[in-house]
Amino acid sequence: MRVKELGKDRRAETITLFIGPQHPGSGHLRLVVELDGDVVVGIRPDIGWVHRGVEKIAETKKFVQVIPLIERPSIIDSANMNVGYVRAVEKLLGVEVPDRARYIRTILCELNRIASHLYGIGIFGNMIGTSTIFMWSFGDREIIVELMQELTGARLTYSFFLPGGVKGDLPDGFEEKLEKGLRYIENRIPEYNALFIENPVTEDRLKGVGVIDREKAVEIGLTGPNLRASGVEYDARMAGEYGAYKDLGFKPVTRPEGDSFARLMLRFDEIEGSIGLIRKAIREMPQGPIMHERTKGMARQVLMKVPEGEAFSRVECGRGELTFFVVSKGGDKPHRVRMVTPSFRNLIGFETALVGHRLADVPTVYGSLDYFPPEADR
Amino acid sequence: MGQKKERVILLGNLENAVRKVGTRLADMRPIRNIRNWGITFSLWPVPLTTACCGAEFAATMSPRFDMERLGVLPMASSRQTNVLIIEGTLTRKMAKAVKIIYRQMPEPKFVIAMGSCAADGGIFWNSYNIVRPKDVLPVDVFIPGCPPRPEAVIRAIMQLQDKIKRKLKYRMDAKERPRKRTRRQRVSRVV
Repeated sequence: MRVKELGKDRRAETITLFIGPQHPGSGHLRLVVELDGDVVVGIRPDIGWVHRGVEKIAETKKFVQVIPLIERPSIIDSANMNVGYVRAVEKLLGVEVPDRARYIRTILCELNRIASHLYGIGIFGNMIGTSTIFMWSFGDREIIVELMQELTGARLTYSFFLPGGVKGDLPDGFEEKLEKGLRYIENRIPEYNALFIENPVTEDRLKGVGVIDREKAVEIGLTGPNLRASGVEYDARMAGEYGAYKDLGFKPVTRPEGDSFARLMLRFDEIEGSIGLIRKAIREMPQGPIMHERTKGMARQVLMKVPEGEAFSRVECGRGELTFFVVSKGGDKPHRVRMVTPSFRNLIGFETALVGHRLADVPTVYGSLDYFPPEADR
Repeated sequence: MGQKKERVILLGNLENAVRKVGTRLADMRPIRNIRNWGITFSLWPVPLTTACCGAEFAATMSPRFDMERLGVLPMASSRQTNVLIIEGTLTRKMAKAVKIIYRQMPEPKFVIAMGSCAADGGIFWNSYNIVRPKDVLPVDVFIPGCPPRPEAVIRAIMQLQDKIKRKLKYRMDAKERPRKRTRRQRVSRVV
């Protein structure tokens, strides 16, 4: 029953509900929801609960010391954040990355994308009440995390890419372990299909919920899987500006529907795509150096002075397109580091996708947009 | 009128006496040990992913590390929980919300500060927008690391369990705790 029928007071037609900031999602976000009965008529996200001032702190650190800092906003996707910043610094330095380093970067970035998507799917499952999927995807994510730990030495924060190359080569016997892990993830996807995706409960809750059509998605500037789920074929990896994506013949996957179900399915598609890319990269990987001569060695990295100028870089994170803008005044510290994170750009999707739906659909859309508050607030 | 007055005095005295006796009894050896043993295996944290350490906390909940075997089960509402795990940096804006959440939790309650940021700022030590959790809340256990590994989180939980088993004394809720009254107040209540 509508509130209008209950109350005589016209002002009581809609009620304002505050969801958050403490809620069982992936971080803090307050949604100020305007409700008519239980139909959402307006929604306004209130952000800034995890704002730590990364951009300002970056001005007080040396160029290499900024790398761990800019990984922190999106810790589950740190390799992709890392490569974005490092590309900008390389452009300022005028350094070309050796071929082998580009391939290693691609492998780690794609592994991290799989882990990030599994994290997103797990949180999504938790939000719509299927905690089995949370357990499954987090359990499977551990395999990818272990592989990345073998390669880099850390579970989440790798700081593996430095300006001019990567820190280390692939360890002995890594290829076999990688193949084993990838085969496991590949074999798990049909099981997810059987339990979760082809489940009538999931289909009822997700299909047709939170639809953002193609024109609207372009207009409001969504990025990443959310944009591609609306049928737009755009991916920052297509430009081939970083990594070995151009050599590997990367093609993005799209889905036309633009609803929550399409956004979920697109993440599974991308996991499969990433597995293919990693296999191809391992097969075609050339031999050679992994670090440019000019930036080789820790002393050169720490004492590095970057020539005056500005540089812009664009990479594809797990959640969408990340852009970096670095300004140097010729010293050993950046004058300004500006980052536009994908979650921040996807935030506006809440306002478009939720209006007209029920209150119970709020977690569905939240999970399907794969919004990660620390990343958006920086 | 006179009878009514006496009744009030009697009830008040009885209530206080029962409360005192109950507190004493609950703090005596066998009952205290049994109670504390029970609390150690029902530490329910509130999901408070203040920052990026939440990723590792979620991994600790996952099948590989499985914190539920230690009796740790995240609950959705802060009213149902007794452990507050600050997962990472605490910003100014969030610190206000954390205080409200802490006040909503029933006694006895514990605080774990996870990550270097929660200990003393960590990599964000010179940020303009962060708060040290120890200035806001009474922290029981700190977990170092940026981010701490899930094993470290499990170790912190076990340390907290140890602490509870050895030390915890009964504390009544803030509302129930008898306050020291001035003589005038005491008189006014009786009358």
